[in-house]
Amino acid sequence: MRIPAQEQVLPVLREKLGGRLLDATVKSPVRIFLLVSAADIMEVSRVIFRDLEARLQTATATDAPDAFEILYHWAFDYIGCVVSVRVKLDKQKPEIDSIAPLCRGAEWIEREMWELMGIAFRGHPDLRHLLLMDDWPAGKFPLRRDFKGLNA
Amino acid sequence: MDYLATIVQLVLFPGLVFTAVAGLVTTWIDRKVTARVQMRVGPPFLQPFYDIAKYLIKETTVPAGSTRWVFLLAPLVGFAGVLLASMIIWNALLFPHKAFVGDLIVVLYLLTMPSLSVILGAFASRNPVASLGGSREMKLVMAYELPFVLAILVPVIKAHSIGLGQLATTWSSYLAPSGVLAAIVAIVCMQAKLTLVPFDQAEAETELAGGACLEYSGPPLGIFKLTRAMMQFVVPMFLITVFFGGLNIGEGGIKIGYGILKYIVLTVIIVLIRNTAPRLRIDQAVRFFWGPVSAAAMIAVVFALLGW
Amino acid sequence: MSYVINALTKSLNVFHLAGSPCNNCDIEILDALTPKYDLERFGIVLVGSVRHADVLLLSGAFNRKATIRAKTVYEQAPKPVVVIAIGNCAITGNIFRDSYNLDPPIGKHIPVDAYIPGCPPKPEAMISAVVKLIAKLKGTKA
Repeated sequence: MRIPAQEQVLPVLREKLGGRLLDATVKSPVRIFLLVSAADIMEVSRVIFRDLEARLQTATATDAPDAFEILYHWAFDYIGCVVSVRVKLDKQKPEIDSIAPLCRGAEWIEREMWELMGIAFRGHPDLRHLLLMDDWPAGKFPLRRDFKGLNA
Repeated sequence: MDYLATIVQLVLFPGLVFTAVAGLVTTWIDRKVTARVQMRVGPPFLQPFYDIAKYLIKETTVPAGSTRWVFLLAPLVGFAGVLLASMIIWNALLFPHKAFVGDLIVVLYLLTMPSLSVILGAFASRNPVASLGGSREMKLVMAYELPFVLAILVPVIKAHSIGLGQLATTWSSYLAPSGVLAAIVAIVCMQAKLTLVPFDQAEAETELAGGACLEYSGPPLGIFKLTRAMMQFVVPMFLITVFFGGLNIGEGGIKIGYGILKYIVLTVIIVLIRNTAPRLRIDQAVRFFWGPVSAAAMIAVVFALLGW
Repeated sequence: MSYVINALTKSLNVFHLAGSPCNNCDIEILDALTPKYDLERFGIVLVGSVRHADVLLLSGAFNRKATIRAKTVYEQAPKPVVVIAIGNCAITGNIFRDSYNLDPPIGKHIPVDAYIPGCPPKPEAMISAVVKLIAKLKGTKA
């Protein structure tokens, strides 16, 4: 189904996601941020991608002081609204289910997030280097805050 | 002594040295006129000779897994073909009574050998891009050979002979409609035979990264380039022999000056077409040759049979 | 040996190898080949295949992944070949020299014969470098 109008995006999402939706921030009528738990990401993504016919724009990963954060940016092109779904991952062991089996467009961006941030994606069909060279030393993730160079 | 004369003919005139020098000068004329049309200066006169000399000092690389002997011998096949064709044509031009019957057929076959050698070399390269260039060249050859042979039928019908000697000396009847139409068709097919724009799909630099000769380097590439330059001299001379009356105007006499004049006119036509037309897609080129050009050639043959 | 140098310096096939540049150096290289500067009068011609190349033009900051490929391309060029590094990124890495993904300069991995600094270098600078390179080739191996 398609969401009929911009004002109804948040109510429809609350109704569909129920208890999975931990928090919602509305920056503007066309820009909504949701917070969900990492364990629910597959179900939430299925609802937004399949049921509500959104398009995955991209995904971004951040090394925040308290946790690793991933934002999945879903675009509702038919009403001109972007909904970003935020998950927080444990700093010591950042792991999450890969949504690539559900949405093929997530394959490469998850490869990039893995190789540069070190976030493990469970169930990713093809987890290998995308931008870094193939014999990049394992365990060194360039975009983490504590990365001090290859020779450190 | 006869063998010595043949060897001198093969190596000096009208064989290797003469055709190679004339062909390289033709490519210089082409590049210079193109440069002037584009409002630049262009290369110096000896540039094509420097290019061939440069190819001789580079190392030859053979791709791993390719058919080595086909890869290395393919350039020589085309080179031999154009060399022999040049000798037969000049024999017919200079000594029309000594030409043998059926040499027109022999020259037609020999002039397809450079394209065949490019195709052979492309497929022996074990490179998908080169095979793409080779397949385009194959389609192009199938497309333009049909109207080319049909157009050559017109002077054959008019002169009642398939000897190049007779064709070279009977010119005055070619101002007829069938002759003019056949000459136009032959000039268009010549542009494709020389793999010049708008028909150079096989070696499209911007699309195919060098096309059919992608994997060639050093002396084999030099032989390919030299063959191409020699074709730029031999095919216009062939057309002059068959359509435009050889080295004379009207009946009688060998006049080298008129031959050079006709040759320069043909070369200028080639260069102007080359500089003003964009490259066609391969399917557009095949449709062009099998459609309007073949139809025009068949109309020309019918006119010739009817005596017009 | 002098025949080799003479033949090589009078007819140069140029192959442009871009290691993920910002493309400004590429635009200036193409400028140098346009009618205004007309490099064809020196016998310089742009070719599409590295097997036809006498000069390799390197532009852009080659990151680690691109350096591996650049070495392969350099080995594919038939010798003798001349390598020219164009632009500050190819020479030293420029503003990217401290990046985790770069191992500058490209001269560490591929033997470079001439450097053309600039960001981007003007076509006049490139022509001047080619002239000096030709003189260097003739001078040291005369």
